[in-house]
Amino acid sequence: MKKNYAITLLFLLGFLASMPLYAQQTIQGKVTAQEDGNPLPGVSIVIQGTSIGTVTDLDGNYSISVPGSESVLVYSFIGYTTQRKIVGNTSEINIALTEDVSQLGEVVVTALGITRDERSIGYATQEVTGENLTYTKEQNVLGSLSGKVAGVQVTGSSGASMGGTQKIKIRGVNSISGGGEPLMVVDGTPISNSNFSGSSGQDYGNLGQDINPEDIETINVLKGPAASALYGIRGQYGVIMITTKKGKKGSDVKVELSSAVFVDKVANLMPYQNLYGGGSSQTWRTLPNGDKYVDMSVDESWGPKMDGTLARHVMSFYAQDPTYGQLTPFIAHPDNIKDYYQTGTNVNNGVTITGGGANSNFRVSLNDTRIQGVEPNTSLKRNNVGLGLGVDLTDKLRITTNINYAANKGRRPGQGSEDGSRYLGQWFQRSLDMNRLKDYKYDDGTFLHWNLRRPSTSTGEVSNFNPLYWANPYFLAYENYSDDNRDRFFGDVGVSYQILPELKVSAFVRSDTYTQNINSRASFGGTGVSGYSIGKYQNTEMNYELLAQYNKVWNKLSLDANVGGNLYDRNYSYLSMATVGGLTSPGFYNIDASIDRPETNSYQQNKQIKSAYAMVSLGYNNTYFVDASLRNDNSSTLPVDNNSYWYPSISASWVFSELIRSQTMTLGKLRLSYAQAGSDLSPYSTTSFFDVGTNYSTTNTLTVPDNLNNPNIKPSFAHSYEAGVDFKFYEGRVGLSFTYYNQRNENQILNLDVSGTSGYGSATINAGEIVNKGLELAITATPFRLDDFNWDISFNLSRNRNEVVELYPGIDVYQYGSTTYSSTSSYLNSYVGKPFGSLVGQAYQRDEATGKILLGSNNMPLYTDATHDFGTVLPDFTGGFQNVLNYRNFQLAAMIDFQAGGQFFSRSKMLAVRTGLDPVSAATNDKGMNVRDPLEDGGGVKVEGISAETGEEVTAYVDAKAYYGVVGRRIYEDWLYDASFIRLREVSLGYNFNKGQYARLPVENVRVALVGRNLAMLFQNAPKGINPAELSTGSQAIGWYESGQLPSVRSFGFNLNVTF
Amino acid sequence: MIVSALLLAGCNNFDDDININPNKPGQASGTQLIANAMLSLPGLSSSPQGEFMSQYLSETQYVNASLYPQSSTSFYGWYQGPLMNLETVLNAEQLSSLEGPVANQLAVAKILKSYYIWNLTDRWGDIPYTEALKGLANFTPAYDTQEFIYTDLFKVLDEAAAQIVAGNISNDIIYEGDMVKWAKLANTIQMLMALRLSEVNPALGREKFTEAMQAGVLESNDDNLVFRHLEDANNQNYWYGQVNVQEREWWAISSTLMDKMKSVSDPRLKIYANPNRTDGEYTGLVFGETEDIDTEKYALLGDAIHAQDAPVQLVTYAQVLFAQAEAAKLGWIAGDDTSAEEHYNLAIEASMEQWGADTSGLEEFMMQPGIAYNPAAAIEQIATQRWVHLFMHGYEGWAEYRRTGYPDNMVAPGGAEVPNRQIYIETEQFNNTENYNEAVQRQFGGSESLYGNVWWDVN
Repeated sequence: MKKNYAITLLFLLGFLASMPLYAQQTIQGKVTAQEDGNPLPGVSIVIQGTSIGTVTDLDGNYSISVPGSESVLVYSFIGYTTQRKIVGNTSEINIALTEDVSQLGEVVVTALGITRDERSIGYATQEVTGENLTYTKEQNVLGSLSGKVAGVQVTGSSGASMGGTQKIKIRGVNSISGGGEPLMVVDGTPISNSNFSGSSGQDYGNLGQDINPEDIETINVLKGPAASALYGIRGQYGVIMITTKKGKKGSDVKVELSSAVFVDKVANLMPYQNLYGGGSSQTWRTLPNGDKYVDMSVDESWGPKMDGTLARHVMSFYAQDPTYGQLTPFIAHPDNIKDYYQTGTNVNNGVTITGGGANSNFRVSLNDTRIQGVEPNTSLKRNNVGLGLGVDLTDKLRITTNINYAANKGRRPGQGSEDGSRYLGQWFQRSLDMNRLKDYKYDDGTFLHWNLRRPSTSTGEVSNFNPLYWANPYFLAYENYSDDNRDRFFGDVGVSYQILPELKVSAFVRSDTYTQNINSRASFGGTGVSGYSIGKYQNTEMNYELLAQYNKVWNKLSLDANVGGNLYDRNYSYLSMATVGGLTSPGFYNIDASIDRPETNSYQQNKQIKSAYAMVSLGYNNTYFVDASLRNDNSSTLPVDNNSYWYPSISASWVFSELIRSQTMTLGKLRLSYAQAGSDLSPYSTTSFFDVGTNYSTTNTLTVPDNLNNPNIKPSFAHSYEAGVDFKFYEGRVGLSFTYYNQRNENQILNLDVSGTSGYGSATINAGEIVNKGLELAITATPFRLDDFNWDISFNLSRNRNEVVELYPGIDVYQYGSTTYSSTSSYLNSYVGKPFGSLVGQAYQRDEATGKILLGSNNMPLYTDATHDFGTVLPDFTGGFQNVLNYRNFQLAAMIDFQAGGQFFSRSKMLAVRTGLDPVSAATNDKGMNVRDPLEDGGGVKVEGISAETGEEVTAYVDAKAYYGVVGRRIYEDWLYDASFIRLREVSLGYNFNKGQYARLPVENVRVALVGRNLAMLFQNAPKGINPAELSTGSQAIGWYESGQLPSVRSFGFNLNVTF
Repeated sequence: MIVSALLLAGCNNFDDDININPNKPGQASGTQLIANAMLSLPGLSSSPQGEFMSQYLSETQYVNASLYPQSSTSFYGWYQGPLMNLETVLNAEQLSSLEGPVANQLAVAKILKSYYIWNLTDRWGDIPYTEALKGLANFTPAYDTQEFIYTDLFKVLDEAAAQIVAGNISNDIIYEGDMVKWAKLANTIQMLMALRLSEVNPALGREKFTEAMQAGVLESNDDNLVFRHLEDANNQNYWYGQVNVQEREWWAISSTLMDKMKSVSDPRLKIYANPNRTDGEYTGLVFGETEDIDTEKYALLGDAIHAQDAPVQLVTYAQVLFAQAEAAKLGWIAGDDTSAEEHYNLAIEASMEQWGADTSGLEEFMMQPGIAYNPAAAIEQIATQRWVHLFMHGYEGWAEYRRTGYPDNMVAPGGAEVPNRQIYIETEQFNNTENYNEAVQRQFGGSESLYGNVWWDVN
């Protein structure tokens, strides 16, 4: 706030300065940095309204002749707030410039960590400050970007996943294969954001989450090739540039403690019917003695009415059970699924110590996070240690280092339709009492399961207590769990030498290394064989980097030139093993316990990229800027004789507000850019090899792989054009940024699905072209800026249009994925001439003239084959809306993110209906009868349509189970949902106590806050219980079908920050 | 500075082998590829879908697949798996004679390829053949007519048998390298294929049949094409995985089969099935029954059928004998009813032996009305007994049913008749559009279903 007033004041002074000039005088002085008092070389000093200027020397000294005492000197330097000073009658003006990183949009960190004045940049940038990311203690930095940056779509996963995947797409889908994740860079060090999850099972999350959010100063998203061109082959899909907090030279040691406690609750469960219980028929099954029993062999709820009838429940067949042989009432357990979940907790503690001596600065941070999940027996523990150091060895030679360590230890729930407890909403009995299942183990070690084979019709006893289809969910949680842990180091050591005031050379060694361990167990007494598997995955990525930077200002002309080189070297390896044929003895989980020859795999991979690059930025009069860059990449994964490619970019910006000099418009800028970026492919894709097949006795077999490698592959190219305008009005109280982009990605490297009759399922080829065009709008506003009340709004909206322009000759479809249930498949296909990602599956057959559904002879709806195109899954608009209100020491912040359009297929909903769990399967029809009542009594589901045979209109009632058996298995049209949503993602209410106001405060500052995360879905078209914002399923790049999604989690917590 | 030196050192030079996959073998020997192709053989038989097509087994749980839904079935696995391995051997520039004579390696690859292709065309109809398996050279192979495929396979099998020389090949997990058996198999496959043409082109069928017979076919059950599973989870019987490991009681012996076996006290029944668990009877389950099935009440798969190392019998001596019996009856070969009866009796005996049935009462069994050879009902008897013999080899039982129309007690669950073919995978409509459309147009006039007839199935 204060800063804005200062700027306002300076502007007023600026206007005074445009008055006539009188006499000539010489001003001398020194410019230093406010923070550490060090002299600032290379600061530009210009007499306002003229082109006369100079720069400070190595010691920060300057001297300039001015026309008179009314002259205004403008002191500007990249990374610092510009200051203006009226000359007056003095001959010496010493200026201390303040560093400017907090004031949004003035200085941004661009590719390779080069700090630039925002006005000089010819492409869209949008920066998010760390404070904005940590209001709610979101653990995954990518998740906290959701809704905060125009053009960036974050697809999350449920909080129940324990650190599950957050996926980020910049400016639409730029790869026909659906992939295309941006590069993550922390303080110049590229870090891995890969993922060990499959599309179902445990979601181990994206590895980028190892960065401690508390350490983040700013995140700048380089959205397009123009911004990321200096990253060449690695930057085609954009870059997430993260800059961490640093200590300041010459500052006191400051200690900051932060503590947060959250409570997590399952929210948004699907509704279920509570009229009919487990079974496949409303007729009771009976034991030889005439007792009724609940059919434990059926995992559906098409059974008898839950009217309190006395019956044998599954537990009563266990001789160890207190209810053995007893009849108990058959009643609904409306909350049986909800009862499975528990209250989760999330405790986060952190300490940071910052400070600096005369020639050094440091920051150390420690963080400890412990999460207990809402799913029983799930947890995540994470520790982060961060160290940032900078030392000036001489006044020219500086060494810096950033070291980050993260340790993760997780026990996570599975996801997907058939993993862990995920079947509860899909295959279950409404009559089961979850609280009875909780004690899943009897004293003698026998496991209690609910889904068993039926009792003998002669003895009335169950003879096989192994679960039939589904094991007790508690058994799965406590016996069949999977554990994982990861140790990770990343960071850099750098040295820089200021050869001249204008010329700096620096060299860095950067490393990102981790070891990921995953093991999982399957106990005796469940479905299938017991087993154990273990995997160890290790990755080391080294980057050796050299950069020379030259900055010079000659009067009106400024030059910023960079030349550099980089060697990237990645070594990845793993060992994985799994038992085969079961374990030799219960409770001994080891590969040694494998009954048959265990499955073992060892793997190693090496990849190198050698790069050289140069960038030149020219500025004139702080008004006109042109940037050009060129990068050359040699990738070891490309064919040897064809592995060197050039990636150019050019951009320009025009700060027209310098010419217009409007009182209201603080900044007006027009920008244009064009760039090419590329991407290579994974190693070993250019030469052929064989896969190792199953060993038969002593015969080793080999087989031709299903993918055909390609010795002639070329890198893919992205061509991007971008144009935009940025405005700031009323001293920055209103900001507006508008961008149009057109990105054409061609010659894509695809593993294209081909007809298997060619002998291969897919082939690595260069093919295809995909175009994204879009608009991005970002608005910031401060509607109120009063002494003790301030209200900041930021809003962004983006729209992306996508088209697959071309595929491979003779092939018009790219299949991204498919899913099959009960021999019925659905696909995510991309067709030439249409947007990426059409949902394809079986639809209703319809009468051409009327569009009405065609019915078969039994009045059941008829359906097409699985080739009906339901349209793209991509959204029309995405965006976010953030409000921060400060009233005296209170601060209220709220974040909304939203998406309009897009769609997905929900297998959970389909199965809930098909298995009689969903209320629609027990609804009341228009005759006032339950759809499950016999047809002759007025029951049945009403179907209306046209008879395919006669062409006549038909209105009929059909058996509910049979009807949903068809619709819930064969007709995907009914299970597609709009993915639009408006979500209240974060709310925090804080209060600040500081020494200035509370003199008796024993510490510098105390901030307390109440925080809510994922508070409410304000709007969604998809049915309750299914979260269109959490479609991320593990490593799937595109969330297009929901199947056994983990329930959404709502979190409330308390935050405490203390600064000493 | 070190870094800059490093960078300048080698701009586009990497280690020569940096992009060579160190995790996979770059070379494969012919017999290793052939052995892998052999691992897929049981898949030609071990499939619930095949059992439903031939109505050997009834579904007991979530009855759906046995109701003949109009859904597609993929043949890609066969092309990408065994066929591509065999094609690689056939096109290899060089094969190692250390693994046995190269001619023999090629002969075995041809025989196996033909056998797979024959199975595929019988199931789907026209399929990609001449243009298939070409990789990059053709991602959209055209469909060959079944007629052409049959004609060509006769040729290829002849070539294969003719090129066999003395000398075993290694890694042969089927015949342990015995090339004499491979030659017999090549002829036997031709013989069975020839019989398939009994309706559509009897003249050609007869010619090929007699040629094959003269060339020498299987002479005992020892010559059978059989895949021997091992007591090892990596090489175990499919049904062991289903019935023993997953404890699935999803399949009961169908009434269709039970009716043909129980009334004549067929000794094979004790091998095929376990008695029900309520009264110890062999009770069949009506095929296509959907409601309220208590598995306890029905005869489920016999222990021997779902043993971990249960063998999968694919081309058998009994089939040869049944074929000869039928050929004699049809007048394709000499001997008329006398020969037909003799072969029919031998066929049943060979089947009993193959299945390990108790043959102490065999004579009595053979004398029963309905079983004893009856010239007036010979074709039906031969076909029905062959169908009983082919138990668990569902697709072959189904093919013979489509050709002969026997057994006579197949049912139509929910009105759905036994299909005449399988539907092409939808992916072909996306990735091989023109050729798919052409094949469907050519065979079925534009739209396909389970009920289009394949070429040889003319009635």
